[in-house]
Amino acid sequence: MLKFQTVERDSFYTRLDFRPKLLMMAIITVIAFIWESPFMQFWLAAIILAAALTAGVKPSYIRLVITVMIPFYILLLVTHGFFNIDQVKALTGKSTLTPLFTIPEDWWLIGGAVMSREGFAYGLNVIFKTLTLTLIIPLGVFTTDVDTMTVGMVRARIPYKIAFIFTATLRFFPLLFQEIGTIIEAQRLRGLAMEKMGPVKRVRVYAKVAVPLILGAMVKSQHLEVVLQSKAFSGSAIRTYLHESVLHTIDYVLMVFMILLFITAIVLYIVYGIGTFAGPI
Amino acid sequence: MSDPTTPKIIARLENVSYMYPRSPNLVLTNISLEIHQGEFLGIIGPTGAGKTTLCLALNGIVPQFYGGRFFGSVHIAGLDTLEHKISAVASHVGEVFEDPETQLISTSVENEVAFALENLLIPRDEIMARIPRALAAVRLEGMEKKHPAELSGGQKQRLAIASALAIQPDMLVLDEPTSQLDPVGSQEVFATVRELNQTLGMTIVMASHASEEMAEYTNRILLLSRGEQVAIGSPDDIYSQIELLIRNDLRPPQVASTFYSICQRSGYHGKIPVKMRDGVTELKRVRQQVQVTPPENLSQAIPHSGEPLISVKDLKHVYPDGTEALHGITLNIYEGEYILIIGQNGAGKSTLVKHFLNLLKPTQGVVEVGGANTEQLSVSELARRIGYVAQNPDTQIFNATVGEEVSFALNNLGFPADEVERRTVEGLESMGLLEARHQHPLSLPKGDRARVVIAAILAMKPEIIIFDEPTTGQDYRGARYILDISRELHKMGKTVIVITHHLYLMPDYAERVLVMGKGTLLLDAPIREAFHAVDLLKSTYLTPPQAVLLTQELSQLEGRPLPALLTPDELAGVFA
Repeated sequence: MLKFQTVERDSFYTRLDFRPKLLMMAIITVIAFIWESPFMQFWLAAIILAAALTAGVKPSYIRLVITVMIPFYILLLVTHGFFNIDQVKALTGKSTLTPLFTIPEDWWLIGGAVMSREGFAYGLNVIFKTLTLTLIIPLGVFTTDVDTMTVGMVRARIPYKIAFIFTATLRFFPLLFQEIGTIIEAQRLRGLAMEKMGPVKRVRVYAKVAVPLILGAMVKSQHLEVVLQSKAFSGSAIRTYLHESVLHTIDYVLMVFMILLFITAIVLYIVYGIGTFAGPI
Repeated sequence: MSDPTTPKIIARLENVSYMYPRSPNLVLTNISLEIHQGEFLGIIGPTGAGKTTLCLALNGIVPQFYGGRFFGSVHIAGLDTLEHKISAVASHVGEVFEDPETQLISTSVENEVAFALENLLIPRDEIMARIPRALAAVRLEGMEKKHPAELSGGQKQRLAIASALAIQPDMLVLDEPTSQLDPVGSQEVFATVRELNQTLGMTIVMASHASEEMAEYTNRILLLSRGEQVAIGSPDDIYSQIELLIRNDLRPPQVASTFYSICQRSGYHGKIPVKMRDGVTELKRVRQQVQVTPPENLSQAIPHSGEPLISVKDLKHVYPDGTEALHGITLNIYEGEYILIIGQNGAGKSTLVKHFLNLLKPTQGVVEVGGANTEQLSVSELARRIGYVAQNPDTQIFNATVGEEVSFALNNLGFPADEVERRTVEGLESMGLLEARHQHPLSLPKGDRARVVIAAILAMKPEIIIFDEPTTGQDYRGARYILDISRELHKMGKTVIVITHHLYLMPDYAERVLVMGKGTLLLDAPIREAFHAVDLLKSTYLTPPQAVLLTQELSQLEGRPLPALLTPDELAGVFA
């Protein structure tokens, strides 16, 4: 059965409260968005990757994420390398870009297209940016117990209803996947030969799965509402919690560190251009 | 001043009538009832009788959550459910629902127990003190950190009971808590509830179709029909009124049916017992007054032979997580048989059947259908020969009209248009659905939706039809309805395989029984032999029908073996 991923290793990250982790995720995300330097983005992604591996995020999970993203990364390199000319010229202040290679003229449609070194570098910047964003989530989320996360979210002033939806989703997602499996199995047993189908036909099959799935989900959500009512649930944040969310010294240290990192990154970016696309590094 | 010997009234319903929004009919009509502290009240009635609505009225969800028109009053622990918030009433009434999946909302056992307490603003220290107490009461200690998905069906329902208990309610209301469970889970829930009632004095209200258990455990029974209070009284009063039960589409406990039938046939005028132990006592009395004459001609299953339609040789299956689900199963299924497969959840019943359809591949061994190895055939090819009706018809309906649903498989299998039309009409006619051809399948009642799925499968003209737990979650009428269809198909020459936990329903239908336990075939025998292998059935937590148990008691009393009788009518026949 599909289960929520958690790291098995006890580490510095698992001992942290969720609030400093939320702050870390927010600050790293903002920095990754601001920076455009492929060099800086590479190191940021590398540090987050190393941190995720140290924290116990499974290499197989990271491999899966990267494998899924590879077509997207190739697309980014091609589009930025060949076609992102005006933005890169504006960012570097150059009137002509440095060619990396040119596609032979006699190639149909794309013959003569030039991949620029600057466009390629910009593509790398976007790739490392997305890598940072996709790795920071498991670093923060997989190292936190779901219960502590809920309380941490509430203590971080995220509305309780949102925190509840988050945990209820984790509870009901496996059921949903189970139901999809049951429906597809029922269709196969009515002569649907999925193995002989092309992608377009398969999409049409999945569309048919939606009908019983949505109706089933609607019935379940009404049951859930009745269950919640019987358990005195009102969605109000005024409730007690079994699990505690307590900030320790290490949590304060991390929060102060992240705030200082953010201030430093912004100052370096504005004053010295560090992190900009055409900056010193 | 109140009489100190009279138990305190926990709930008082006065002339309660209720109508859901946009519904023209009353779901409850003039219900007046008092529920006393420490009693175990059973609510019985066919589907649509208003049992669930009544359970929801006991904590104010009806009408506060649903709306609609409500008449009369419900007072719980002195609180008027119309004047107090549901959350205020919820601290007095613990509710347990039918579906073990959708009523558990947390990601761990301890969180599930704590959830309502957190909502009720119980301090953290008190919550931590109540969790182990509630889990101990349902014997789930040590499972605090487990995810609900890791629990069995019975454990899930016990967790739901623990969550309700933790709020320390005045009353526990359980709406069909065992209908989705296998016999072990069902026994776990009944044992837990009985213990709570007898040891802790907890007031219990339970709606259930499990006649034998309700007769055994409850103090009082309320019979509802079409929202009306038809009768209320002790289990002995209610369950001995066989005609009243039959008139209301309810199944009497088999011990009661047996003695009713004995009275009808032999002129014996004893009482009609509703509990097994009273039945045994009454049996002693009746045999002193009426002579026992064993029947000479009992129907016997005719052994089938020839080339097997399905052949399973040394089948072993290991799931990817390492679970060994089947260990060396060998059996043959012949054309025209009606086979019943029984066993606990996890016994390997569905795993076995899925190999017939190539939904699972053998880890070892061979499965052949019509002489062909199933591994060489696609699922869609096998679906032409084997129709599979799963438990929930709603996960098998994908089309916008009944007609499209029935022709869905035919189009997939590439039949020409005229053949599709001919077979669709035939399928619809065979299930009496021709008039509903242009209706949306989901607009039909649940029983009819099951018929749509069966019609869709029949259109493929399969030789074998498998019904996987068709009686789970159905009331007596619904279960008989589907089984009657299976019998019709059998008469048409189809080979029928039924998986069910409800053994008492099957003597009128099945010929041969496969008893499975822990991935092995414990017994493969004609139904009379299999149902009388009482010790073997009990060893795998299957409960033989009461008529079988009474027959064995009678054999002992007579000091001679009697034929393997299966039904109340057959047993009553020996006293004719």
